[in-house]
Amino acid sequence: MANTRITTGMTQRNVLADLNRVNERLVRTQQKVASNKEITRPSDDPFHTSRALALRTSMEGTQQYQRNIEDAQGWQETAEQALSTITEAIHRARELATQGATDTTDPVAREAIAHELDQLIESVKQSANTTYRGRYVFSGTTTDVAPYGTTDAYAGSATDIERQIGPGVAITLTVVGSTVLGGGQAAADGKPLHVLRDIADHLRANDGAALRADLGRLETNLDDLLGTRALNGARQNRLEAAGTRLDAIEESTLKQLSITEDADIAKTLIEFSSQQAAYQAALKAGANIVQNSLMDFLR
Amino acid sequence: MPISSFYCLQTSLRGLLAQQRALDTTGHNIANASTQGYSRQEAVLAAAPATWIPQGAVQGGAGAHLGAGVDVQAYRRVRDTFLDLQYRAQATRLGEASARAEGLDRAELALAEPSDDGINKQLSEFWDAWSDLANSPDDAAARQSLVEKAGALAEAFATVDRQFELVGEQAQSEYDALTAAGGEVETTAREIAALNDTIKRFVTAGDVPNDLMDQRDLLLDKLSSLGTTSITSFADGTVEVVFGGAGDPPMIDATGYHAPTLSNPGGRLGALRDLATVPGGAIDSFRQELGTVAQTLASSINAIHGTPFFTVTHAPPASYGAASIAVAVTPATVRADASGDKGANKIALAIAELRGKQPDSAYNAFIARVGVEVRESVRQEANAQALTDAVLDRRESVAGVSLDEEMGNIIKFQRAYQASSRAMSTMDEMLDVLINRTGRVGL
Repeated sequence: MANTRITTGMTQRNVLADLNRVNERLVRTQQKVASNKEITRPSDDPFHTSRALALRTSMEGTQQYQRNIEDAQGWQETAEQALSTITEAIHRARELATQGATDTTDPVAREAIAHELDQLIESVKQSANTTYRGRYVFSGTTTDVAPYGTTDAYAGSATDIERQIGPGVAITLTVVGSTVLGGGQAAADGKPLHVLRDIADHLRANDGAALRADLGRLETNLDDLLGTRALNGARQNRLEAAGTRLDAIEESTLKQLSITEDADIAKTLIEFSSQQAAYQAALKAGANIVQNSLMDFLR
Repeated sequence: MPISSFYCLQTSLRGLLAQQRALDTTGHNIANASTQGYSRQEAVLAAAPATWIPQGAVQGGAGAHLGAGVDVQAYRRVRDTFLDLQYRAQATRLGEASARAEGLDRAELALAEPSDDGINKQLSEFWDAWSDLANSPDDAAARQSLVEKAGALAEAFATVDRQFELVGEQAQSEYDALTAAGGEVETTAREIAALNDTIKRFVTAGDVPNDLMDQRDLLLDKLSSLGTTSITSFADGTVEVVFGGAGDPPMIDATGYHAPTLSNPGGRLGALRDLATVPGGAIDSFRQELGTVAQTLASSINAIHGTPFFTVTHAPPASYGAASIAVAVTPATVRADASGDKGANKIALAIAELRGKQPDSAYNAFIARVGVEVRESVRQEANAQALTDAVLDRRESVAGVSLDEEMGNIIKFQRAYQASSRAMSTMDEMLDVLINRTGRVGL
């Protein structure tokens, strides 16, 4: 339109509207600087909001997995200590049995050794009854029931407990007591409790030949125990590795979240100053254009 | 035929009077420079009917038309009715877009996302509580905390749903207030009808009541931002207005005001009605979707939990999922595992595994949809605002008062006035010579 009349009202309204627009942008940028967030509501950027929500969920998840791992590590350490005590006790039992198996040992001495073995068996059972934060670690899922009571029968559950250490990743936490120590003579499973009781019986029965056979069985038990400890150790390594990986994931998620959600301060500040300059220029131009009129030049 | 010696006095007088009227109009314009809805006026000057001299006026004896000065023909309102039409169409769009943007904006605020107060955070904490339960299935504190977190999550759903409902209710009550008897629509329409009557009286008498017409146009502008208007002008100066629906009977006609049918109101009323409509309105669709998210959450947890963990009834509009979701378990009846073993945690593990899966992704998708909807409404509002401003500028360009122009006019009319009076005094001097000095030779 070549011949647009520019009226006083138009000028005033346009100046005001322009000032409002510039000011609105300025306030928006100021908010960004103050909150350090690029997105303050879904409509700012629906796609990135959805992404930010998913990243937050994954962040919280990662932190929870880290807590799960800490808890699992505590459990594993307790189990490992108990297994180590049990191993030591069985080593001691083997020494005693070797001593007792020698035919030069007289029945009285054998009786004394058998007595010590009884004590060792009790201490092994006690170790198997170890708890972590009030829960029996060798009882499977029945964590409230001690695996061994007065008898040698295993009282716990045969089901393992799992821990979640990542999305879709679970690790078996427990070592079931019956696979470590067995169910005693009644179960006749060749596990330590069975063998140790046999040795004590054979010592009392003064049966050197049977004792020598028992030594071989005890050796097997020690090998099994070593295997269990190796398995436990492998789990601990896995937990540690998972923990390290989660730390890395947490860091990268945090970084992505920051990229998605946070304002680039340097960029925002530069925007802020340039908008401030634009606002001042608009104010100055507006003030000049509104003030001037033909009246100033007529007399 | 002789021409009166005083002829020019009359011509100059006409000039003086006409310039005075033109200056009056300029003064009126300046006084109303910032009056809302005012259209500038101008005194339309035209040469007065000439004096016809049948013969002997010029050499050869022919007749002539002798100019008789100037007359004010009319006081014209400078306005383009086509631009009015355009403006009102845009005002209707803007009214609709801004009411919609306002409503959706409030709904979006109710979500409080992304932040640490929204449902997303509550969901995360809920999954954490399940993980904690999986870590300590026999721990009474873990159970208690899980039930509390579940309660907080259900409450967060209910709060957002209630906020949505409020937005709908507010829209409905604003709609009711605008359309009620004595509401803005009726008051405005009655004013227009009253102005119709007054204008008609003047027009029939041959006058053009410019300022009353400005007032009526302003009221029509106001009406058009509330709903669609279709305005027909008649020769007697009255207008007939069909409001809020193309096929509806007129709201204002020759007999006055009639309550509008509002079959398809458009404008602010249309947007408010759409926000408030249940079922199917904009807010209602948000409530339904949030309800579906709540339902998804409840059903995926209940399926794993075995017994109902959450109860939910999603059958809109009678009951919305997000409003009705409630925790159905106590710390004692939370199932960490199907077996009764104290340390078993299969169920808790499986539920903790849901983190980031369907319930979360359904909620995320919902947030993204709300975001897109709100963004679109804001964009439409900005768009409508820009178009309205552009039409307003063009209308202002035609009808608005330019003080510079009026200043120029003042000079113009003042000079014309001065010149007319100079013509008159020149004539006066001539007559003085003729009357007082002629024929006094030798006296």
